Amino acid sequence: MCCTGAAVRQRQVCTEVNRFQGPVIQLKNISKRFGGVPALDDVSLDLNAGERVALIGENGAGKSSLMNVLYGLYQPDSGEVCFDGKRVVVKTPAEALARGVGMVHQHFTLVPTLTVTENVVLGHEPTRFGRLDLERARREVDATCAKFGFQLDTSAVVRTLSVGSQQKVEIVKALHRGVKTLILDEPTAVLTPQEADELFAVTRKLSDEGLAVVLISHKLKEVFAFSTRIAVMRRGKKVAEVKPAETTPDAVAALMIGEGSGTVTPSPSGRGVGVREQTLSLTNVSAEGLKPLTLALRGGEILGIAGVDGNGQRELAEVLTGLREFKGTLTFETKPFTSKEWTPRVARESGVTHIPEDRLKRAIISDLSVEENASLGRHRSPPFAKGARIDFAARRTHTAKLLETHDVRPREPQLRVGGLSGGNQQKLVVGRELDSSPKVVVVVQPTRGLDIAAVAAVRERLREQRDRGCAVLLVSLDLDEVLELSDRVLVMYGGALNGEFAREKFDERALGQHMLGARDA
Amino acid sequence: MRRALPSILSVITAIVLCFIAAVLTRDLSTAAEAFLSMVWGAIGDWPQFIETGSVASVLRPLGESATKAAILTFTGLSVTVAFRVGLFNIGAQGQLVVGALTAAVVGAQVSLPAPLHLTLCLLSAAIAGALYALLPAILKLKRGVHEVISTIMLNWVAISLVDNWLVVGPLRATATGDNSISGTDQILPTAELPRLLGEGARLDLGFVLAVVAAIGTWWFLTRFTRGFEWKAIGLSQDAARASGIDVERGFVEAMLLAGAFAGIGGAILVLGTTLKYPATLGAPWGFDGIAMSLIGQAHPIGGFVTALFFGGLRAGGTRMQLFGLHKSFPELMQGLALLFVAAKLLWERLLTRRAKK
Repeated sequence: MCCTGAAVRQRQVCTEVNRFQGPVIQLKNISKRFGGVPALDDVSLDLNAGERVALIGENGAGKSSLMNVLYGLYQPDSGEVCFDGKRVVVKTPAEALARGVGMVHQHFTLVPTLTVTENVVLGHEPTRFGRLDLERARREVDATCAKFGFQLDTSAVVRTLSVGSQQKVEIVKALHRGVKTLILDEPTAVLTPQEADELFAVTRKLSDEGLAVVLISHKLKEVFAFSTRIAVMRRGKKVAEVKPAETTPDAVAALMIGEGSGTVTPSPSGRGVGVREQTLSLTNVSAEGLKPLTLALRGGEILGIAGVDGNGQRELAEVLTGLREFKGTLTFETKPFTSKEWTPRVARESGVTHIPEDRLKRAIISDLSVEENASLGRHRSPPFAKGARIDFAARRTHTAKLLETHDVRPREPQLRVGGLSGGNQQKLVVGRELDSSPKVVVVVQPTRGLDIAAVAAVRERLREQRDRGCAVLLVSLDLDEVLELSDRVLVMYGGALNGEFAREKFDERALGQHMLGARDA
Repeated sequence: MRRALPSILSVITAIVLCFIAAVLTRDLSTAAEAFLSMVWGAIGDWPQFIETGSVASVLRPLGESATKAAILTFTGLSVTVAFRVGLFNIGAQGQLVVGALTAAVVGAQVSLPAPLHLTLCLLSAAIAGALYALLPAILKLKRGVHEVISTIMLNWVAISLVDNWLVVGPLRATATGDNSISGTDQILPTAELPRLLGEGARLDLGFVLAVVAAIGTWWFLTRFTRGFEWKAIGLSQDAARASGIDVERGFVEAMLLAGAFAGIGGAILVLGTTLKYPATLGAPWGFDGIAMSLIGQAHPIGGFVTALFFGGLRAGGTRMQLFGLHKSFPELMQGLALLFVAAKLLWERLLTRRAKK
């Protein structure tokens, strides 16, 4: 008898659920710790249909962790996830997808050699008599694109698409599975401003169709452009929930950073020691992707390289750091070097350090510990080594100091670096590269993916280096960043230099024309 | 210790499976007796020692085990050091063959006082193995040939060249008196590895060399900056290169050391056990090195412990024949254990990847 009673009660619950009109998804009192470090501390968040919610916060504030709980990638230590008012344990992303939650990560999960259609249906391919029915797949994917207003060539091979289009494919992939809630994890980090605008137009359309869209971001501007509601997170807690119409970017920034943790206004571009003689120069140097060019880096100066992505900036940085073969002569201080002589090791030992763009590929090794990564590049010399042997004690104390100075969290030298958030990894790299009193710093996109406070800190460090007489070469795709920091700007177009601007003569318009090759040097 | 757990479990699973197979083909009591005799054959026949007081019944099996373990340790180290820089040295067999032949030739043809002669044999075997391993390294750096392909093929080059031509042709022993004439000339007594416990047991200096090599390798890899560089290369060539580490040099150095270890393994076999390059090498020691390294979790000490274990089982395995079981049971166990270790790695990776996201 009691069993039937339970069944009846269950049925009642079910009918109630069907009538449920509240939030589609409720995250209730979620807490999650990683090895004693709290990542989420009693966070609650509701998501309603037709809403665009922005989750904003600094690196490691818990934005991604919270959404990873919803997407089934993390299991919360306490708290519950409710779908349509009913408690659910989401164990895997597959379960989350089945319940209508989709997530688009910063790193795409597309197969570059397959077409858009093939990527979208991958894992759920329509079949005919057991064979893949590509025609039907294509019709269905086209229909999805049309429904949400995406303009995509579904027969194009993904590899040939721009980053912005690839991201659209990711979104279509989620929509094609019929998701009702779409999470975008820092989607604009890889997009140009135009592509970002397009993305926000698309998300608006999605929420009009009744989807709940979540944007994880630390950029105030886009959060205000995007959302109908802003949830602010700080150190694992949700500190506020505001409507963009009822607040100001400054107020939200204050909430993100917390009171009393200092201002983030950039210091004026003052001169320290003044421009010294040239330290590193190239004379008629050419390389793959680089036409013959001549330039000089001078101590006490930040030289900015402006340009649209893929115009030789990366190649230039690689030549300077010894990572790319070149023809011509490179002169460091007064000594000339050929390509063969200018190895990464020689460059480093001469005092040229490198903050590369792709930190996971070039700057850190995920499977090594924080302290091992902190020693990379200087692992042969004190304090990291004593003769041929590793100096474990000194390495630990030095790393601990580095973590403290550069505010890398958590401050555990023996943690695996892969376990750190992207922002903290970058802080570690910046700290390591600037720690050795370099003579030349080659930095590429140093603030990509960092939050406001970290961006300000990195820029301040670069100015400090300049002021102590170091030559800084800054490559950034963010023109504002180049203009804010640089004392002199060189424009690159088509693998060659196309214009030079001194700080007094900065003119965004003229720079832009040079960047697009509309005007010659 | 936690890292060793998958290996230990795999080995236990393999032994249990083999035992079940033995029970199914014979019966429970025969299988139990056979396995027990294998154990006594590996760690010494203690019941007999207690019964009769004969020291030899303990020392002889132990010496046998240690001799086999020493060779396996060296070929295991060969695979492990290459692994450290991210190279998969399948070529330990070829390097071992070249090293063994070199040791046999130098041991038989050069005459020198004992310690010098032995040292020269070991050294020349190491150099021969190292040079033979240098080939795939150069092919990789200059021509982009994958080391797995080139080392596998060079194994067959070495085996064909040595076993099928040199040893039966130009280097074949000249018949003197009533000696059988398979293999190369006997090495001179000055080149033999000294036995540590007299003639009663086969424990020779090779085992000591293996212990020193395993500990030394571990020390080098974990305590020295060069060892750190190798690790960095193995984990990320791009990041290592950007940090000013000479990746190409790391490849060459690691392959040289790998080849030297395999070569010394071959030398120990010749100078301690066979005393000449025999018509057949008995066991695929070089290929077994892959199993030692992988079951030992690519850790020098782990590989050494694995070698001790399987060296012992092999020494004891011959006794299984008395019970009608084939002596290759230990190799079967080793193969199964390797299979499970490989599967365990797969499992672990799946689990950690899930936890990470």
